[in-house]
Amino acid sequence: MSTERVLFAFVIVLALTLNVGFIVGDIANIQHHNIYELFAAVVVSLIATVMKFGDRSPLGSTMLATSLIADLQLIAAAVAWGLYSQSGVELNEHQTVTVISLAIGAAVANVVSVVLLIIEMANLRR
Amino acid sequence: MSYPASRTRHGIFILLRRLRKPLTILICVYAVAVLGFTLVPGVDPEGQPWTMSFLHSFYFVSFLGTTIGLGEIPYPFSDAQRLWATASIYGTVVAWLYAIGGLFSVLQDPLFRRIADENAVARAVRHMSQPFYLICGYDDAGNRVARELAQDGAHIVVIDTESARVDSVEVDELSLAVPALCGDASDPKTLVLAGLTSGYCAGVLALTGDDFVNTKIALTARLLSPDIPVLSAVRYHAAHARMAAAGADHIINPYDTFAERVALSIRTPSLHVIYESLTTQSGTAMNEPPQLPTGRWILCGTGLFTRTLHRQLERLKIDSVVIDPELTEDEVDAHHLKGDPTDPAVLREAGAEEASALVGGTAVDIDNLAIALAGRGMNKDLFIVARQTQRRNSLIFRAAPVDLVMLSGYVLAGEVLRVIRAPQLATFLRRARDEDEAWAADLLQTMRDVIGKEVVESWSVTISPAQARTVCRAMAGSETVTLGQLLTRADGSGDPLQAVPLLLQRGQERMLRPALDTPLQLDDRILCCGSNSARATMRHNLVGHSLPIMNYQASERPVTGA
Repeated sequence: MSTERVLFAFVIVLALTLNVGFIVGDIANIQHHNIYELFAAVVVSLIATVMKFGDRSPLGSTMLATSLIADLQLIAAAVAWGLYSQSGVELNEHQTVTVISLAIGAAVANVVSVVLLIIEMANLRR
Repeated sequence: MSYPASRTRHGIFILLRRLRKPLTILICVYAVAVLGFTLVPGVDPEGQPWTMSFLHSFYFVSFLGTTIGLGEIPYPFSDAQRLWATASIYGTVVAWLYAIGGLFSVLQDPLFRRIADENAVARAVRHMSQPFYLICGYDDAGNRVARELAQDGAHIVVIDTESARVDSVEVDELSLAVPALCGDASDPKTLVLAGLTSGYCAGVLALTGDDFVNTKIALTARLLSPDIPVLSAVRYHAAHARMAAAGADHIINPYDTFAERVALSIRTPSLHVIYESLTTQSGTAMNEPPQLPTGRWILCGTGLFTRTLHRQLERLKIDSVVIDPELTEDEVDAHHLKGDPTDPAVLREAGAEEASALVGGTAVDIDNLAIALAGRGMNKDLFIVARQTQRRNSLIFRAAPVDLVMLSGYVLAGEVLRVIRAPQLATFLRRARDEDEAWAADLLQTMRDVIGKEVVESWSVTISPAQARTVCRAMAGSETVTLGQLLTRADGSGDPLQAVPLLLQRGQERMLRPALDTPLQLDDRILCCGSNSARATMRHNLVGHSLPIMNYQASERPVTGA
C-alpha cells in the first residue's frame, strides 16, 4: 500500500461519487441538484485528470482519455448552467434536462474510469 | 499484463508527469478562491445582501491572479469580499509562479531536452523524401564529408556522442538543413532513430574513430538494412577482417591510403596528378608531377602510420629507417632505431644530414613540428612530411617548413567522398596502380590535350534504358553504337568532346582506357573524365533525339585547340 496509490484511487472514486451525487434526483427538476456539488465534481475531475498525466501503467492512456471526457462533459454542463441562468431566472425544464444529461454522460465516463482502475489493481495483485 | 520496458519517446508525457503537482495546486487554489467568492456576502448599492454567482466568481478570479488592474464587479465589494480577494490574490499569484517555475524547470531538464531533440531528429528523418547519407561521427573526417556532400546537394543525417560536435553542425552552416542526433552510434536503436531503416537511406558512413564502434555500426546496418552500402573507417589492421566479416562494403584506412599515395607519387608521379585532378573538386590536369626523393627516408614515431609507410617504401626498394621510442631490443636492426625522435641527436644518429626525406609521424602534433624544424635545421634539402592529428593546428602546420602534411581526417574524408561520388573511380584507380609510369604519363598527356586547363570532373554512365534511352533505341534497331559517338559534339560538327573515357566495365571484364571505336553493349558501365560542359553534352547524347555522327578524322587522335 502506498500513499500515492491511495491518493490516486481516492481522487478517481471521489470524482465518480460527486458526479453521481449531483445527477441523482428528478432529471427535470433543478431543485434536486446542487450547484456546489457540480462545482466540486468539476474540480475533482480536473485534479483526477492531472493525476493521470503521464501515468506509466498500461491502462494509463485509456484512463486519461475517460477522465478528459468527464472533464469535457462536466464543464459543458457548468457552462450551460451559467448561460441559461444569466438573466437571473431559474432554469426551465428543458434547460435543466440539458445540464443534467451532460453530467450523466460524465458519470458514465467516470464509471469506466473506476472500472479500469479496479482492473489495473486486480492485475497488480497477481 | 507485461509490456516491454520501452522508454516512451513522447516528451509531452514526461512534461505532464512533472507538472502533476504544480497543476494540482493551481486547480485547488482556484477552486477555493472561486468557492469563497460565491459564499462571501456582499452588499449591493440598494443595501440588499448578495453573493456572487459561479460565473462572476470564476470571471473575477481569472483576472485576479494574472492581472493586477482589478475592478470590483458587479458592485463595489463589501469588506468581507475584499478580505477574501486579498487572500485570493496572494494564493493565485503564488500558485501561478509555482506552476510556471515547474514548467520551466521541466523545459530545461536535460532528459526532456534529449527526448525533444531525439523526437525532432526522428521527425526530420521521417519527413526526408530524398536519399540521404547517415554519418556516424562528426570530427574532422565527418565534418568535411558532410560539408562536401551538402555542397553536392546530398542530404545527410549526423550522429555523434559529443554534444559539442553535434552543436557544431548548426554552426558549420552546411548548405542544407542537417538533422544531428547526440547519441551513441553503437546502439542500434540510435541508428534506427536516425533513419537506418528508412527507405531513403543511401549509405552509412562509420567514421567514429573507434574500430569497435565502426564494426558494430557495419554489423547493425548489414543486419537491419542489408541493401544499404556501408563505408567504414578503420585504424588497426587487426580490425580489417572483423569489419569485412561484419559486412562493411568499403573499408578505408587513412594510414594505408596515405602511404599508398606516397608510394604512388614516387613510383608513378603522373598517376598522382591524375589522381589529384580526379578526386579534388577544383583539380586540373595541369599540375607538375611531384618530385619525391628516392634516397634514404627517416620515419619518426610509433604506430601504424610509420609502419605502413615503411612497408610501402620497402616494397619500392627505398632505403628507410624508423625511429621508434617503443621498440624492443630484438626489433632494433639496420632499419629500426630506438630513441626519442624529437631529440636532434637521435635524428643525427639516424643520418638526417645525408637523408633525403624525413617523416614526423608521431601521434603528437607538436612533436611532429619539432621534428620538422630540427630536420630542416640540419639539412636544407630534406623533403619533410608531417602527420597532423588535429585540424585546429592547421595554422601552425601551414607556417612550418613542411612539404607534405598528412591529416588523417582529411585523407579519410577524401577517400570516402571518392567512393560515394564515383564508385567506378575506385576501380579505375586500383587498376591504374598496376600500370607503369609511361602509361600514366601518356594518359596525363592525353588528358591535358583533350581537357586543357578545365577543371576535371569524373562521371559514370550505365547503358540502360533509364540512363541512355537513345543508345538503347539505336541498339534495339541492331545499329552499332560506338563509345566515340557518345563523346562527340551534338551540334553536327562531329568534333570530339573535352572528355577522356577511363574505364569500361562489361560484366566481370574491365577495360582501362577503352578505344573510341569500341562498340557498346547493354549494361556497359563507362567512367569518363572531362570538363563540365562535356559531361552535359554526353548526357544530352544519351537521351537526346538522335546520336551524333562521329567525325572519324578528328577522333583518330583527339586533339582540340583548348
